[in-house]
Amino acid sequence: MLSYSIRRFAEMILTLFIIATATFFLLAAVPGDPLTERVEKLPPQIRQNLYEKYGLNKPLLERYVITMRGLAVGNFGESIVYPGQTVQSILQEKLPASARLGIQQMVLGIGIGMILGIIAAMKKNTWLDYGIITLAILFISIPHLIFGLLLQKIFAGELGWFPVIGWPKGKDLWTGGWQYTILPTLAGCFSYIAAYSRLLKTSMLDVVNQEYILTAESKGLSKMHIVLKHVLRNSLIPVITNLPMSIAMCITGSFFIERIFSIPGVGMYYVLSVNERDLPLIMGQTVILSIIYIVVIFITDILYTVVDPRISIQGGRR
Amino acid sequence: MELTNISFKKYRGRRLDPDQLAGHSVTYWKDVWRRIRKNPTAVLSLAALMIILTLSVIGPIISGHDLSTINPKRANMNPSAENWFGTDNLGRDLFTRVWYGARASVIVALVCTLIQTVVGCLYGGIMAHFGGWVDEVMMRVIELITSMPTLLITILTMMVLGNGMTALLVAMSITSWCGTARLIRGQIMQLRESEYVLAAVALGASPFWVILRHLIPNTFGLLMLTIATSIPDYIFTEAGLSFLGIGLQPPNTSLGVLISIGQQTMDFFPIQLLFPALILCVLVLAFNLLGDGLRDALDPRLRQ
Repeated sequence: MLSYSIRRFAEMILTLFIIATATFFLLAAVPGDPLTERVEKLPPQIRQNLYEKYGLNKPLLERYVITMRGLAVGNFGESIVYPGQTVQSILQEKLPASARLGIQQMVLGIGIGMILGIIAAMKKNTWLDYGIITLAILFISIPHLIFGLLLQKIFAGELGWFPVIGWPKGKDLWTGGWQYTILPTLAGCFSYIAAYSRLLKTSMLDVVNQEYILTAESKGLSKMHIVLKHVLRNSLIPVITNLPMSIAMCITGSFFIERIFSIPGVGMYYVLSVNERDLPLIMGQTVILSIIYIVVIFITDILYTVVDPRISIQGGRR
Repeated sequence: MELTNISFKKYRGRRLDPDQLAGHSVTYWKDVWRRIRKNPTAVLSLAALMIILTLSVIGPIISGHDLSTINPKRANMNPSAENWFGTDNLGRDLFTRVWYGARASVIVALVCTLIQTVVGCLYGGIMAHFGGWVDEVMMRVIELITSMPTLLITILTMMVLGNGMTALLVAMSITSWCGTARLIRGQIMQLRESEYVLAAVALGASPFWVILRHLIPNTFGLLMLTIATSIPDYIFTEAGLSFLGIGLQPPNTSLGVLISIGQQTMDFFPIQLLFPALILCVLVLAFNLLGDGLRDALDPRLRQ
C-alpha cells in the first residue's frame, strides 16, 4: 500500500513536469505575444526594457529553465496585461467563487441524483422509474449552457426573482448572497442529477441480484434494513469511483456557467487570459489547474483501495 | 413428472422440412436492426435526426434567402411568411443561418468522430498487437494525456492554431482518441484469448483471417457505440467553445456561434436564441436516445 502510494506520487510529479514543459512550448509556438501590440508605439529603448522585464528577449531554452525554476519554488509568473498581478494573487481572488459554485452544484446535484436513483431502483418498472430515467436522459441532453441561459432568462429576466448576474463578495463570499448563487447552482447541478441517478440505479440493480441479498431476505430482515445496510452500501462503489472525475470535471465544467452569469471565477479568468494572450498567466493557471486535477485523481486512486478492499493493488494496476 | 408412452402422440400432419422448422438464420446486424426497429424511442430519434440532417442540407436552399445578405430594413423581425425564423440584427434570414449552423456543427462532430475512431483504432491496435514495452510506453502516453483537464488542452491548442475550422477539428479530437484506443486495446486483448479465436487458429486460419473475420467484426459493435456517444459530445463542446469565443468565430457559422450571438440580444429578441438552442437540444437528445437504443440492440445482455 505504502509503496504503491509512493510510486503513484512519483508518477504524479513526473506528469506535472511533462505538462508544464508541454504547455511552455505550446505557448512559445503561439504566434504573437501580448507585448507586440502594446509596444508598437513606444520608443525602442522602452520597448527593449519591457522585453527584458518579461525575459522575452532571451533564447527559448533559457526562458524555459527560468520558468521551470520559478514553478519549482512556487513562483507562477506575472501578468503582462495587468502588470503587478501574479498568478497567485489572481487565483486567491478567483478560486473561492469557483470553489463555492462547484461545491454547491455537486452537493445538490449528487444528493438529489442519488435519492432519485434509489427511488428508481426500488420502484423498478413503474411509471416513477420510467419518469426519473427519462428525465435523466433529457437533462443530459440539455447542455448546461442552454440551461443556464434559460434559467437566467426566465427567473432573472422575466420574473425578476434573482439578480441577472453577479456573485457575493467580501464577507458574503462563502455563506451569504444566496440570491446570486441559486441560479448558477441550479444550472450546473442537473448534469450531476442525471449522471448519478442513472449510475446508482444500475449499480443498485446489480447488487439486488447478489446472493447475500437473498440471504438477508431469508433471514427475515425488513426491506428498509436490507436497502440501507446491504444494497446501498455495496452499490456506492461506482458512485465513489465516479466522484473524483466529477470533481475534476467541475474544475473546467463551470467555464460556461461562469461566463453566462459573469461569475468572477477561475474559468472566466482563464478564458479572459486566453483571449488577451497573457502568456505567463495562461502558463501559471494551466499548471495550477492541472495540479488540482491530478491531486484529486491521485487521492481517489488511494481511496479506492480503502473503500473497496476487493480492488487489488498488486503491481499497481487495476 | 414421469414420462410414459401416453405422454407422446405421433404427429400425423403434413411432413415438414427440417430446415424450415429451424427458421432462416439471422445475422447479427439484421438482428440489431430488428431490435432497433422495435424500440419506438430509437425509431423516433432516428426520424428526428433524419429530418434535421435533411433540413441542414436543403434548408438554406428552400428558404430563398442568402446566408450573408444584409438587409438593415428588415433587422430583428419576428418569424413571418417571408422569414420563417425571423431575422437577426443585421436583417439576415435566421432560417438559413440556423440550418447552415446546424450543418457546420454536425460536420465538425462527424469529422472529429472520424479522426477519433481512426487514430484510436490504429493506436489501440498497435498497442494490442505488439504488447510488451511498446504497449507499456504507448499506455503511458495515454495516461499522460488523460491526466490533464481536456478543456484546457483544447483551449491551448486553439490558441496555438488560431480560430479556423481545421484548428477546431484538431483541438477537439486531440485528447478524445485516447478513450477509443484503450477500448480497442482491451477488446482485442480479450478477444485474442477467446476460445473461438483459438479454434480458428487451431484449424489453420491465417492471422489475416483472424483479424478480418473475428477481431474486427466483434469490435465493431463497441465502436459503433463509442461513435454514437461521441457525436453529441462534440456538438456540445463545439457549441461551448464558440460560446466562450474560443471556437469558431463569425463570419463562420455554427450552432454555438448563433447561440452566443443570440445571448447578446436575448433580452429583446429571445427568438434569435430560441431556434439555435432548440435545434441543438433536439439534435443532441436524438443522438443520445439513438445511442441508448443502439446499446440495447447491440448487447441484449445489458438489458434488465
